[in-house]
Amino acid sequence: MTSKRATKGEYIETDTGNKVSRRSQIIGTTNIILGGKTVIQAEVIIRGDLLRAHQNGAEKQGTPVAVAIGRWFSHYPLKIADHVFIGPSSVIEAALIGSHVSIGANCTIGKFAIIKDYVKVLDGTVVPPNMVVPSFSIVAGRPGRVVGEIAEGEIEGMDLREVYRGIGNG
Amino acid sequence: MASFTPYTYFQCPCTDTNLPTRRLGESRPPSSSSETEQEDDRTFDPRAPRANFSLYPLEHLLYCEDCHQIRCPRCVLDEIVTWYCPNCLFEVPSGVIKSEGNRCTRSCFQCPICIAPLSVSSIGAPPEGLGAEYVQPSGPYVLNCAYCMWSSKEIGIQFEKPNGIYAQLSKVKNGGTPIITPKERRKDREERSRDSSVPVVMEEGISEEGEEFVNLDVHEELDAESQFANLKAFYQSQLAEASPASALGFTGGDYGYGSPGALSRIMGLYTGGNFADKRSKSKTGTMREAQDALEGLQLCNTTSDEETITRLRNEGYENTASVAQLKEQTHPAHKHSVDDLRPIAYLLRTKRSQRCKTCRHILSKPESKVQTTRFRIRLVAPSYIPSISIRPLASSQNHLLTPFKPTQFLLTFKNPLFDRVKVSIATPGTTPGRFESRVTVLCPQFEVGANTDAWEEALREGAEREKRRTKAEASEGQLQAEAGKVWERGRNWVSVVVEVVPTSLKADVLMKEEDRGPVREDEDVVEIPVFVRVEWEAEGQGDDTVVGRGEKEVKEKRELAYWCVLGVGRIAQV
Repeated sequence: MTSKRATKGEYIETDTGNKVSRRSQIIGTTNIILGGKTVIQAEVIIRGDLLRAHQNGAEKQGTPVAVAIGRWFSHYPLKIADHVFIGPSSVIEAALIGSHVSIGANCTIGKFAIIKDYVKVLDGTVVPPNMVVPSFSIVAGRPGRVVGEIAEGEIEGMDLREVYRGIGNG
Repeated sequence: MASFTPYTYFQCPCTDTNLPTRRLGESRPPSSSSETEQEDDRTFDPRAPRANFSLYPLEHLLYCEDCHQIRCPRCVLDEIVTWYCPNCLFEVPSGVIKSEGNRCTRSCFQCPICIAPLSVSSIGAPPEGLGAEYVQPSGPYVLNCAYCMWSSKEIGIQFEKPNGIYAQLSKVKNGGTPIITPKERRKDREERSRDSSVPVVMEEGISEEGEEFVNLDVHEELDAESQFANLKAFYQSQLAEASPASALGFTGGDYGYGSPGALSRIMGLYTGGNFADKRSKSKTGTMREAQDALEGLQLCNTTSDEETITRLRNEGYENTASVAQLKEQTHPAHKHSVDDLRPIAYLLRTKRSQRCKTCRHILSKPESKVQTTRFRIRLVAPSYIPSISIRPLASSQNHLLTPFKPTQFLLTFKNPLFDRVKVSIATPGTTPGRFESRVTVLCPQFEVGANTDAWEEALREGAEREKRRTKAEASEGQLQAEAGKVWERGRNWVSVVVEVVPTSLKADVLMKEEDRGPVREDEDVVEIPVFVRVEWEAEGQGDDTVVGRGEKEVKEKRELAYWCVLGVGRIAQV
């Protein structure tokens, strides 16, 4: 995923145009799909190594299973779309993060949470496991709940192009 | 102290459209006109209690292209486009909303303890042996909270199937006893009225012949919903009996209680009008009240209250439901302890379109599909009104303002329009409120360039940056902004300097005796009201008059004026 362009800066730039802090921990990189213009800040932990016990048909059996050697399991891919900002010291265990999502500092995104497009997660939020956050929501609290809506005019502001350009190895 | 981020709020003019027009004609109290004031001699006071309701960040505002006016959430009408469940993201048709209510009727539930989402999981023994992974786990199933580890087993509820939890849950009480559904109750009622020729005489066991017929107890304890259903059914039958239907299908002579005739009679009750005709007087239908649980009567049970108290005493605080938990429940009045709480079905969410209240044009309309985030129409203020950003001119580490030390701020106006705009800004000489800081705008009039092609920007960027840098270097040399001159200028933005002389927060600077007192919340923030007037020449829009005049581009002069509030910083409390 990461192209090692040997720059000695704070951020690694990937081929698809993401900036990932060198001080972040990304586990199970093969299962993580990053879009473009995503910024991941320092001391973020992203887990792509979550496993799902293979259960046919059962609805969202959201129990992550410990490594069971010999048993057939699948890694659950973590997809992070475009223009996603992940603030420092946040822990991401989500199943999907849509585009134009901004996650604040010190957040925890629980296992298999799904965050749709245009969502703001305020600082210090704990998004519980299996939660689905619909588009245009503002989430805060422990456990996280939708506390507000994104106004129509804020959509442009969630474009990370400027932030992306501003951040980096400068 | 937490760091202060400068902010800009825009005032929506909808709040004062009524007041000033009415006031203009009136004679003004002479005391206020002594000061040198602007043409309509009112300066906006951001600290006025009413201002709270008219100030919005620019992003929250819309712009009506027909009224040429800013629209805030208070002066738009919301219309629901789609209902959907925020958890399963399924669209709910509006017909279902009317019949089923505003909660998700699939399997989406929130934990009654912590409101985190619940997931269904099996508590049956996991299948073992070869190929066990492919076997569907068997029931029973419970709802589980992965956040606080609550489980519906705690309230004695289990499910047979992993889907359709809502329907299953509506059939069981906490503890596992089944709820008699409204349908069954209705069946019971029908049976009863058919069996007994005398209106409702209580007879136990009228329904031996019914195969799955539930025998309802006369002294049954009803929950709120079934009590309401019973009461409603009872009174409906009473009304029907009191005014029997005539041959034409209409209810009898006095039109019953639910008819417009009855309404007008009630309206005339106290005025003694002639609505109360003799007919209705002559025939007074005798109506009785509910007598038992089947008719919706619930006797006040003193022992249950005592039970609640002893339970509270024995189980203590941990088992008592909090106000926040009860608030999420339906019929919270009947619930006291944690065991009474039920999983909360997700409240549906809506996608809404917005209309201008004055001209009814649509200002924003999202796509009706739940999963899409596009808008069909989106007239938002940031694409019509120059945004204002604030930045201290001298980059100081100290984010508090020192009293009596002139501090300069850079206001950057960014023009989103494709035409160049003329901006004039005005501020009162001192900020309103008890602590008056002095404010000077060094350049009150300027022009901001058009928001031309983005490519042009990209091409020009290199050169521009250089220009900016030279400017910055130059500024370091002098650090003195010139009056009447723009500080910095870009393709579609202009920066001007505003000088603020913060006042001291000590009480002795206050002139009036009655103003003295400790600094109240946020009184140390310097908030500058700014009146912004934007003028530009827009291309004539496709109005009929414009088209009629000729094919040539007709330039139309536009003007927009509004108040803003700039929060620049906190004054240090020495």
